[in-house]
Amino acid sequence: MTQTKIPVDLILESLAQDAEKAQKRATKASDVLLGELHSDLATTPYEVVYQEDRIKLKHYFRSETADKLKTPLLTVYALINRETMLDLQPGRSVVQNFLNDGIDLYMIDWGYPTRKDSMLTIDDHVNGYMNNVVDFIREKHGIPKINLMGICMGGSFSVMYSALHPEKIKNLVTTVTPSSFDNDKGLLHIWMKDLDVDKMIRAFGNIPGDLMNLGFLLLNPARLMIDKYVGFMENIDNKDFVENFIRMERWIFDSPDVPGETFRQFVEDCYKKNLLIQNKMYLGNKRVDLKNLTMPLLNFYGKFDHLVPPEACEQLTKAVGSKDVEDVCLETGHIGIYVSSKYQREFAPKIAKWLKARDEEDVPQVKARDEQKPKLPAARGRKQAAAGSPKTKAARSATRTAKPKSPAPAKGKSALMQKIAEAI
Amino acid sequence: MTEEKSENTQPPSSFAPWLKLTGEFWNNFPALQAFSASENSEQKNDAASFLAAWTKFASGFWNNDWIKNMSGNSENATPDNADQNKNTANNRFLEQWQASLNFMKSFSKALSEPESANATIKSLSTLPDVVLKMLKSGCEAGIQVQQQLIEKAAKIGKTTEAYNFENLDQEVFKAFSDIYEKELSQYLHIPQVGLTRFYQERIADLMDKHNVLETTLAEFLSILYLPMEKANKVTQEKLERMAEQGTLPKESKENYSLWVKVLEGHYMTLFKSRDYTDALHNTLSRLEDFVMAKNETMRDFLQFFPVPTNKEMDDLYKEFHLLKRRVKELEKKLNIPMNKV
Repeated sequence: MTQTKIPVDLILESLAQDAEKAQKRATKASDVLLGELHSDLATTPYEVVYQEDRIKLKHYFRSETADKLKTPLLTVYALINRETMLDLQPGRSVVQNFLNDGIDLYMIDWGYPTRKDSMLTIDDHVNGYMNNVVDFIREKHGIPKINLMGICMGGSFSVMYSALHPEKIKNLVTTVTPSSFDNDKGLLHIWMKDLDVDKMIRAFGNIPGDLMNLGFLLLNPARLMIDKYVGFMENIDNKDFVENFIRMERWIFDSPDVPGETFRQFVEDCYKKNLLIQNKMYLGNKRVDLKNLTMPLLNFYGKFDHLVPPEACEQLTKAVGSKDVEDVCLETGHIGIYVSSKYQREFAPKIAKWLKARDEEDVPQVKARDEQKPKLPAARGRKQAAAGSPKTKAARSATRTAKPKSPAPAKGKSALMQKIAEAI
Repeated sequence: MTEEKSENTQPPSSFAPWLKLTGEFWNNFPALQAFSASENSEQKNDAASFLAAWTKFASGFWNNDWIKNMSGNSENATPDNADQNKNTANNRFLEQWQASLNFMKSFSKALSEPESANATIKSLSTLPDVVLKMLKSGCEAGIQVQQQLIEKAAKIGKTTEAYNFENLDQEVFKAFSDIYEKELSQYLHIPQVGLTRFYQERIADLMDKHNVLETTLAEFLSILYLPMEKANKVTQEKLERMAEQGTLPKESKENYSLWVKVLEGHYMTLFKSRDYTDALHNTLSRLEDFVMAKNETMRDFLQFFPVPTNKEMDDLYKEFHLLKRRVKELEKKLNIPMNKV
């Protein structure tokens, strides 16, 4: 007797088991959904120390026990979505990891632009708000330079800022930052090429966050509009999973509008003309010359990032004037770098270690504003960083593209969250 | 009292000539019947005689004493309604009626002249042509859509090529768009006249842009559905092969995973195709057209209320923005402290 090719009995048995599981899951799910759910984002305490128009500067309270870095770090997020992604939940927070590693952390909250902000250009954001914030931190700590870290579009802003004000930036960290836009790897790069941005701004004023979110969902509808929710239904009886999932949903769809003129310049100068990497971009009347980036540069990007593909990120280190540069390519997507538990153990500690190695003190040039909490210790003179900055070409090439070892893939619900993070 | 009531219910004596006229008209009724079925010149002559009878009737009707009495013509007033006529002599309504009556009289007279009658006959004979042309235009549009649907139906069952989205079959939507643009849209672009012409034009424009958006959106959604269609077919083919090899997954989850992976691949291929990019930009452009038209119309409505329009606010914001920039520059020059909270 030959074996059947279609094991109908086994398939039916599996279906029956699935139905039974679904019934049990539905019963438990009602308890989970009707019960108390903790889905708050950005719960790490902070104080707002500076405010200008819609923007706020958050200052976090770092761990007292940690080995403290002397130079504060300013984090600049993109104008798309919100910086709360860096503090998604306890135990999955880049902010907390930074604080635990002794980083004195500041973060710009760009707020929610309204119609009155539609005329704000990149120049207003970079040479206006960012410059004021940097000056504020420098003045508060009485130091000439601070560390700067940019994320995505915020990374591009940070690159522009550092090129225009290199005297104020000590170390630059760019993460998933597009700097070279002339490629056909990322869908955004393809779609933006023929976008009639003038007409879009005439119609909308500011570019609606919801419209952009729809665009991002359409980048991978199979995963982001179907598979993600199938995964949710499969784990709907798991309280932790549901809380994490809802946090992520809250973050994804919390999308401020992008000021029209900023969007116009970003699309025209960057996506269409690719001016930034060619040193031809102008902010105000000043040319952004990447050769002015002489400070140490650490450049992170995701191998499977379909929003900002590696091709858009990896050219930066070759274009800058600095000899102390390092590319780090992580095997994840655009958001996975920050929210996946797998890279939580690598990303922030790597930055903290890199900054510590370059945390030499600068001679104070301005008097500390905050007399009660002087951040500047007594001058100990310049000293070389523990891990010396590679200056030679050979040393430079040795530091390029350091790929950290990946731990074993997460399983179960973590694996699903990992998949979601990578799909974004 | 009873006598008075019975007198009032009697038809006025002036009805007699009107009834006579009506009788004459209906005596010519066969001519009307002949005209409706007219195919040759003989019957056309019948039509002419019908028209002559009708114009005679109309002329007589408007010159009828009863009609004149109704208008309060004192010349022909009977003693019964003389007082009433006096009271209403200056009634504006009756004056209007008199003016209308005079117009109808002169119009009937002009129409009863042989030249006018010939012209009317001629226009009546062209009427079927006009109706035919209108019907033809509508039918052609319908046939065009039907033809596209038949062509689409003929393609059902043809093998789909996996991971290929070149030359998308969107002819049905193109046909709908063509029909809308050629046959319907033009009515919304008829130049408006008068005081409210700009408002009417903007409302018509909004309707037009809305219709175009709907059509474009339908086309775009149909393109988005294509990967589903292809993924289903490819998955089925894969499962078929697996069944033949005896490696069919026992868990439904495995089937789903296979399908979603195929679907993802198809979407990625579609999104990189030129057709999709064009459709995306086209949809976005139509959406922007609609939003702009909506904003224009909303501005018209908002003008009736004591609230500023978006345009007014934008102008204000621009001034405000430039002023703020200048103030900030001045603050820096004067070393005014920053906004510490």
